[in-house]
Amino acid sequence: MKPHHHLDSSTLIGYSAGSLPHAFRAVVSAHLSICEYCRAQMMDADRIGGQLISQQEGAILPSGARNMMLKRLAESPTASSAHHQVAPRVHDPDQLPEPLWPYFGQTYGGLRWRTIGPGVHHIRSRVVCDGHLMLLRIAPGRSVPMHSHGGNELTMILQGAYDDSLGHFAPGDVADLDCDVEHQPVTSPGVPCVCVAATDLPLRFSGWLARTLQPFFKM
Amino acid sequence: MMTSHPQPTKVRPLEAVRRVTEPSSQTVEDARYWSAQVAAVAARQDVDCFMRIYDYYAPRLLRYLLGLNVSPGQAEELVQESLLRLWRRAGQFDPARASVSTWLFRIARNLYLDSARGEPHWIDVQDGLEWLDRCEAESEGTSTEAFADHARLASAIERLPAVQARLVRMSYLESKSHSEIAQELGMPLGSVKSNLRRAFAKLQAGLRSAP
Repeated sequence: MKPHHHLDSSTLIGYSAGSLPHAFRAVVSAHLSICEYCRAQMMDADRIGGQLISQQEGAILPSGARNMMLKRLAESPTASSAHHQVAPRVHDPDQLPEPLWPYFGQTYGGLRWRTIGPGVHHIRSRVVCDGHLMLLRIAPGRSVPMHSHGGNELTMILQGAYDDSLGHFAPGDVADLDCDVEHQPVTSPGVPCVCVAATDLPLRFSGWLARTLQPFFKM
Repeated sequence: MMTSHPQPTKVRPLEAVRRVTEPSSQTVEDARYWSAQVAAVAARQDVDCFMRIYDYYAPRLLRYLLGLNVSPGQAEELVQESLLRLWRRAGQFDPARASVSTWLFRIARNLYLDSARGEPHWIDVQDGLEWLDRCEAESEGTSTEAFADHARLASAIERLPAVQARLVRMSYLESKSHSEIAQELGMPLGSVKSNLRRAFAKLQAGLRSAP
């Protein structure tokens, strides 16, 4: 999985700064877990943060804070051997990217899809309260209605693929869209297109699925 | 600026050079100095070296967290937690990948999202991503240290146009989302994002420029 569509740099800054809404952070984390290029970009964004905090004048710590720190050191031996050990990852095609596990579970097989229209299924995460985080599964060779966004939308393709005016989007790719982009994805033939999407405002549909989808996206 | 930390005279073999060269070399020296302190903590649990890091960074981390609207009590607790993580994990610090300030920024930001914003999975996710980074760094056999990056970055930040600098600061130091910035400044959301994009491109170009 070597992505060709990457995160927008304004999204990198938002993630690094901790200011991106929760739903978007989940999608960014999922993409970072499979994209070395964006991880390197994120390191640059974090360098900006590091530089900015070290340039600031410090605030005054309460008296006693320094002694408290010393006391806590005495109680906490360094553990240079305690590297964060993670079991070697075996690529399992049934597994979702690890950062999505808290929201949707670990495997595609375990997902409980809800139908929201012909050939369109979704699962909405209830963990996220600011914005919407959802999985979408769209049947192959299907056109998603033309829509634009009142706010932002960030989508990562997990399985299958789609094409729109911005190009071909395959597993691992992210579509990091501005509010003014109107697009009409068409899923590729073969397998359903599964993606994880974050939106911060309801989508505005103008197409034939509008009546079906609108109530859901306004939830 | 990184000029006011206590006891800056230790571990400074290039002190003489430092006085006569431009400010950027001072930042390089600072980054090298702080890395040396972390290395001493990792190698021999050196409390003095750790407390030098504490004396310089704890007030800055506190300023950072207060800027994110964390309550003073919780901010103080998060500062201690952040530095305690540095103490415990000093052996994982890799100066080839990040400076001490970048590392501490990541730690403090992660603890902020974990506790102040109540995202319990955040730390695990970030640990997982850091693990991937370490695997890559090991497979690439990176050896050059990233000290010079910060000197270049410091001057690139100073050269940013005022609007871009303001948006970057509101993002990082006030943790304002793009939409919140747009609302507060009465600026279209698209302009906020395009300005941040331009700022990031300039800062990255600064990072990659010849010293």
